[in-house]
Amino acid sequence: MIDVRDVTKRYGDFTAVDSVSLSIDEGEIVGFLGPNGAGKSTLLKMMCTWLPPTSGTITVDGHDVVRDALAVRQRLGYLTEHNALYEGMRVDRLLSFVGRLRGLSRARLSERIDWVVEQCTIGAVVGKRVNQCSKGYRQRIGLAATLLHDPRVILLDEPTHGLDPLQVVAFRNFIRSLSKGRAILFSSHNLAEVASISERLLIINQGRLLEDAPLADLRQRSAAKGQELEDTVLDIVRRSGGSAGVGALGATAGDVGFAADPSGASNDGRSRDP
Amino acid sequence: MTSASTVGPVEGVLVIAGRELGSTIDSKIAYVYTIAFVVLTNSIFMNEFFLTGTVDMTGFFDLMPLLLPVFLPAVTMRQWAEERKQRTIEMLLTMPIRPLHAVLGKYLAALALFGMFLAGSLPIVCMLVALGEPDLGLIASGYLGLLLFGALLLAIGQFFSSLGSDQIVAFVTTAAVGFLFVLSGDDRVVAVLDGLFPGGEIGTHVYEWFSVAPHYEAFVRGVVGLPALAYFGGLSALFLWINAQVLERFRT
Repeated sequence: MIDVRDVTKRYGDFTAVDSVSLSIDEGEIVGFLGPNGAGKSTLLKMMCTWLPPTSGTITVDGHDVVRDALAVRQRLGYLTEHNALYEGMRVDRLLSFVGRLRGLSRARLSERIDWVVEQCTIGAVVGKRVNQCSKGYRQRIGLAATLLHDPRVILLDEPTHGLDPLQVVAFRNFIRSLSKGRAILFSSHNLAEVASISERLLIINQGRLLEDAPLADLRQRSAAKGQELEDTVLDIVRRSGGSAGVGALGATAGDVGFAADPSGASNDGRSRDP
Repeated sequence: MTSASTVGPVEGVLVIAGRELGSTIDSKIAYVYTIAFVVLTNSIFMNEFFLTGTVDMTGFFDLMPLLLPVFLPAVTMRQWAEERKQRTIEMLLTMPIRPLHAVLGKYLAALALFGMFLAGSLPIVCMLVALGEPDLGLIASGYLGLLLFGALLLAIGQFFSSLGSDQIVAFVTTAAVGFLFVLSGDDRVVAVLDGLFPGGEIGTHVYEWFSVAPHYEAFVRGVVGLPALAYFGGLSALFLWINAQVLERFRT
């Protein structure tokens, strides 16, 4: 459903993504792991048609992201890294706006809004404005908008950011329940999170895809070496020449050296629980 | 799971316009702009009306080219700059719509707000009808010229708003370009430019080819001609198209 062939993205002399190839099939949940600045978000932005690749091709559900961008957008649900939402809009109106732009009929829109409101547990805030919602609610509102049109391909960029531990567990179960008939790719810098949801792991650093392996294989490799999974992942990143980045990030339990995003690590102080 | 559904171009434009207008009305900006515009234009007109004592709106239409480059950039300055600043542009432009449809939706919303501004001057027309027998054809033609000039400024304003995330820069550049279009038609400016390059008639050429003045003044005189319609329509369409191109390309 997602096919990436030799894709490179350059900004002047800087190569953000370097000759990456991968494919994700229907029914797969794939975790995309890498430190901040590794190229995860750039690759997702190319998959969702926001950025064109400098070279290489990406197809989503058989449609090229450059030549057939509208068809790709129709089939894709994309939760952006910053989950930017229209702050002054009421949540129900935001969902209605997104659904109408997605071409949903009135009846279908009503049915889908009911579904996402229930599944994303945002019933308590549907009548409130986005800027009155807490970070956790905002993340779930973003997820609801992403899933509203029942997409076949789902891209989630740091989807659990801002969720509390209970919400993260609920999110994992929810994402697993969605996998049938869909391809789901989600990025994170947190190995524990990726390992708990996905069956397959992509590890990227400095724009290069370092590893594309089933999680079970990585666990076997770790066991064979008598080390933890996170050590195996760190070894892979270090071997790529990314040790400076890893060292600077520092290895912490549960975060395996991929430090929390400093730009979004804390609540901005304006949000509050409704 | 659903098959991929599509939104038609017209519906896409209307959905964007509805959100944009709703957002403007929610933010109370529409009320402030409309009240300020109506109070200012009506009071200036009444002053002129009592001085001349004629039942026509020529004074009103003569005044508007100097007011619109101040008021309309304030309507458009936030349209794309805010989307960029809040990063909602990424969500909007990864929806299955073309950037041109998003541009047209925002443009339609701005036109609707401008229509509210103009509707605020209708009491002047009612008063003139009550007091005498104004030439309603001339008034209608003047309003059409005003609408077309405003539509051009809104297209220019939205274009400058798409160039960055700073609303103030968008406001100032749009107002500056708007005044260039207006002042290049002023007799004194034309004379100065002609005088700077004797024989070149730069001022006259600028007046004829660039300025809104000859086209707008034709409407105020009651002449609805194809060249004026083509001038306003063509320039507005050009700025809207460039705007869409900017949105297509700035991501690279």
